[in-house]
Amino acid sequence: MEERDALLKKKVEPVVEAIPAEKLEQLDDILCRYEGKPGYLIPALKDAQELVGYLPQQVQGRVADMLGVTSSHVYGVVTFYSFFTITPRGRHTIRLCLGTACYVKGAKDILENITREVGITVGETSSDGRFTLEAVRCLGACGLAPVLLVGADTHGNIVPKDTVSILEGYQ
Amino acid sequence: MVTLTIDGVEVTVERGASILEAAQKAGVRIPTLCHDKRLVPYGACRLCIVEVTSRGRTRTMPACFNPAREGMEVATHTPKLAESRRMQLMLLLRSHPLLCPSCDAGGNCRLQDLVHEYEVPELPFTRESRYYHVENESHFIRFNMNLCVRCGMCVRICDEVQGENELSFIKRGMECEVSTDFGRPLQCELCGQCAQICPVGAIASKWLVGTARAFEVNRVNTVCSFCSLGCVLTVAERKKKIVAVSSPADSHNEGNLCVKGRYGWPYAYSEQRLKKPLIRKDGSLQEVEWNEALSFVAEQLMAIKGSSGPGSLAALGSERLTNEEAYVFNRFARTVMETPHLDHAGGYGYRALVDGLGSALGFPASTNSITEIREADVILLLAADLTETHPVAKNEAIMATSRHKGELIVIDAVKTKLTGRRGTHLMCKPGTEHFVAFAMIKEIIDKELFDRKALDLRADGLDELVASLAPYDPDAVGALTGVDADTIRQAAEKFARASRAAILLTDGMNRPAQNVLLARAAANLAVITGQVGKESGGVFVFGEKANAQGAIDMGLAPDLLPGFRRLADEEGRARFEKAWGGPLPQEPGMNAAGILEAAEKGAVRGIYVVGENPLETYPNRGQVERALGSLQFLVAQDLFLTSTARLAHAVLPVASFMEKNGTVTSAERMIQRLKPVWKSVEHKSDLEIFTALAAMMGKPAMTYPGPERVMDEIASLVDVYKGVSYDRIGDRGIQWPCVDTDDPGKRRLYEGGFPAGKARLQPAPTFQASPNQGGPFYLTPSSLKFHSGSISQFSFSLLEVVAGAVAEMNRSDMKAVGLVDGDRVRITDSFGASIAVRAKGSRRAPAGVVIVPQHFSEAKLNTLTRWDDPAPRVRVEKV
Ligand code: SF4
Ligand code: SF4
Ligand code: SF4
Ligand code: FES
Ligand code: FES
Repeated sequence: MEERDALLKKKVEPVVEAIPAEKLEQLDDILCRYEGKPGYLIPALKDAQELVGYLPQQVQGRVADMLGVTSSHVYGVVTFYSFFTITPRGRHTIRLCLGTACYVKGAKDILENITREVGITVGETSSDGRFTLEAVRCLGACGLAPVLLVGADTHGNIVPKDTVSILEGYQ
Repeated sequence: MVTLTIDGVEVTVERGASILEAAQKAGVRIPTLCHDKRLVPYGACRLCIVEVTSRGRTRTMPACFNPAREGMEVATHTPKLAESRRMQLMLLLRSHPLLCPSCDAGGNCRLQDLVHEYEVPELPFTRESRYYHVENESHFIRFNMNLCVRCGMCVRICDEVQGENELSFIKRGMECEVSTDFGRPLQCELCGQCAQICPVGAIASKWLVGTARAFEVNRVNTVCSFCSLGCVLTVAERKKKIVAVSSPADSHNEGNLCVKGRYGWPYAYSEQRLKKPLIRKDGSLQEVEWNEALSFVAEQLMAIKGSSGPGSLAALGSERLTNEEAYVFNRFARTVMETPHLDHAGGYGYRALVDGLGSALGFPASTNSITEIREADVILLLAADLTETHPVAKNEAIMATSRHKGELIVIDAVKTKLTGRRGTHLMCKPGTEHFVAFAMIKEIIDKELFDRKALDLRADGLDELVASLAPYDPDAVGALTGVDADTIRQAAEKFARASRAAILLTDGMNRPAQNVLLARAAANLAVITGQVGKESGGVFVFGEKANAQGAIDMGLAPDLLPGFRRLADEEGRARFEKAWGGPLPQEPGMNAAGILEAAEKGAVRGIYVVGENPLETYPNRGQVERALGSLQFLVAQDLFLTSTARLAHAVLPVASFMEKNGTVTSAERMIQRLKPVWKSVEHKSDLEIFTALAAMMGKPAMTYPGPERVMDEIASLVDVYKGVSYDRIGDRGIQWPCVDTDDPGKRRLYEGGFPAGKARLQPAPTFQASPNQGGPFYLTPSSLKFHSGSISQFSFSLLEVVAGAVAEMNRSDMKAVGLVDGDRVRITDSFGASIAVRAKGSRRAPAGVVIVPQHFSEAKLNTLTRWDDPAPRVRVEKV
């Protein structure tokens, strides 16, 4: 269980990746519409994420400056909505349940399979940009344990060795 | 008004008051975990639920945000409520670590208290642990989010009161925590308000960690000694170290403090504190016993008096003396040294009050109380960067512009935190702020935006004012100040039409030659628009240091006696001659600038400096250095071996604010008591020194057994202090005028009219550009919220935040001069004097302005400042 707790509490380290200058210029062009309008934070963040793909510190800082709010406030909103992400994401997000029921029924083996086949563990994105893996506490579907989500699709009663074939369906 | 009963007690409150407020008034305690009277009610914890019966129906509801209504019957402690509160506490404890024995908040935790009070018997739910790391990278403040109960008070106080918005709730649900963006260390005001308001130990002062527990400390209520707002402090001390500073919720500052008041104290136990007196022997300062030092000082002063006459002596006091010390120093200078030359704060730092408000209105003091500001519809900030100088008063402007939907008019040459709030910023050229304000007055008069009949009844001098304003042609004003006529017009109109408008300015040593003009403009504006003697109106002049007001009240000025009596005033002089047992000069002596000039010429031979560091804080350092260097005898009385003390022939180490008794008077005329947090055996108080010297100099009659007796004497001689005594000051303070022993003091001046019958409008100054040339940049001396005068340099805590002077420049100027952040620059004035400091790009500085903070010895900023020029022109070069 300690191992599971460690996975669940694992902090996702923000990616420090320089955004190319021309991207930043485009960003400013988009954001200037919202200049001095703190009420437009969510649309501004949505536009920024569409352009850059995710919302690293640098981008959040620009949004904060432009709208005239503090960067803490922006971060609070970004982390509140699961739609926003502070790390680059793969095309598909795998959410693996590490709740007690799923864990007991083999979630750990599923995780090992994913790590072996895709090369990522919790909080990481595969280098080909295909998958991002997240651990969640309980999806409320314990009857189907062990459970994993890929994008919006739920996969239940998984036999760990089938993990790979499930993922095959997502390119 | 509505009347309701709470637990059977009938109580009447104002419409709109909450049930909780009604209960407080009725003396009934309702438990809360997310409520603070400074904040907008939030309703997160639901511990304040009560049973309300009205019109035959009984419902449960939170007391903190439901208004009290007529006829309600409220029950606060039924068995059902107790059960429900117990359940909520059990739920809270589900994820709260039960490490009370090792928690620094143990014994000082609202959750712990409530769990105890409600006798929570067990923890029936499966525990859910949280895993946040403990954030320990910020100055002074530590975050341990595992302990957070998500009451939101930290986030709200930072936003609603401080206006910083540095903290946010991040993430959701179980993972929700309080943090900055990406968990970076705090870059805010570091006021520690979040740590004080946190009901548990989730945000705490680092000083407490592992040093002391709530029940191991000794607590003393005293007054902050940094700025002039006089915030009440509760100092928690253990083993002669200050481990925590808070402020009582019922204080006039409502429990708010700034970073200095909370974390600025280590100077008091700095290793650099002088422990023994020093006298100059064979060219160097050497430690001696008190007796030897005092007789040396007495002899030398007597010798100069004997050989060159008492007029060759001079005395310079400070805004850091208590009222009692300032009073006795005044008596000492005038009747023992027998010199007419007495001054303080550079001789100009306080004149806004004396020659500005005093001449116009009658009393050299701010007119209203600070907490009224938040209700003003318009606040005019006249070159007042309150965030940096008087942070707790800045909170008033924050509340005024958010909760109360008021607006600011900021006349300032630099951007400040407040220029981004609701309202307008009239960004003018440095040193021309008063011209903009007088131009507003002209507009108000020209457009008849005031009630002329009423004005004629309450003020004289309108015709002279109008005549002096003739040259203030809008286009000429625009050209000189950089603010265009339309903007001034709009601001004037907004101010004149506001129903409650307050004017705020600051008075201090970083603004030579301008203080008085700003205050005169402010007084005129307030009088003309009828804002004097009115709630949430008036003029505030915030002095720089703790007892700025008291130093004036006690007459530490060449032309004043205690109680604002002019030396020229026969009756006043006679009163003090009788009490002090000696003749007093009829003519004013020299002010600080005059004293230094005379010293340079040899006409003044000996100066007694108490609590001030002229070499670093007076303008024109070169001159000060020559003046002090040419003296036959210089005594410096201070906590530290300041640069002035190094030039002295005798240095007397004194008790600090943490070690002495006495009173100080704040910028809202609030007289409050200082109480020693610990006793110092090495240091004498300034009072003990003055009386000892007086006895040695042949005036043994000048004895006082202690500060309380001094206050009794002050009360017997100073009209506005007449009803004041230590008993009456008590824990809450008293605002003068307090004219007899039944007078509760006054929150506002002039409600019943002006003392002279009418106010006196002050003519506008000659309208012209400063003649000083010398370079493309304006030099603007500034204050930093993390420092105060030069004393804060001895607090390692404050130095840890800002260690030295850095010049702030506009990025475009940096580029033009070829600078990057951190480069050293040489700043040179037209006289060829220069200083070297590091520079950084800053959004505060408009193009053409260099901002340099005044607090740091090594920067020697006063090399470039001048007595007669608020904004010297300088060149900036890379070195
Ligand atoms: S120290 Fe003050 S400004 Fe900083 S986060 Fe706490 S409340 Fe906000
Ligand atoms: S950190 Fe403290 S004040 Fe802030 S939400 Fe948590 S418990 Fe409340
Ligand atoms: S605002 Fe002034 S008086 Fe209040 S705590 Fe800060 S420095 Fe002290
Ligand atoms: S534990 Fe996995 S769905 Fe509940
Ligand atoms: S105090 Fe009323 S809900 Fe918390």
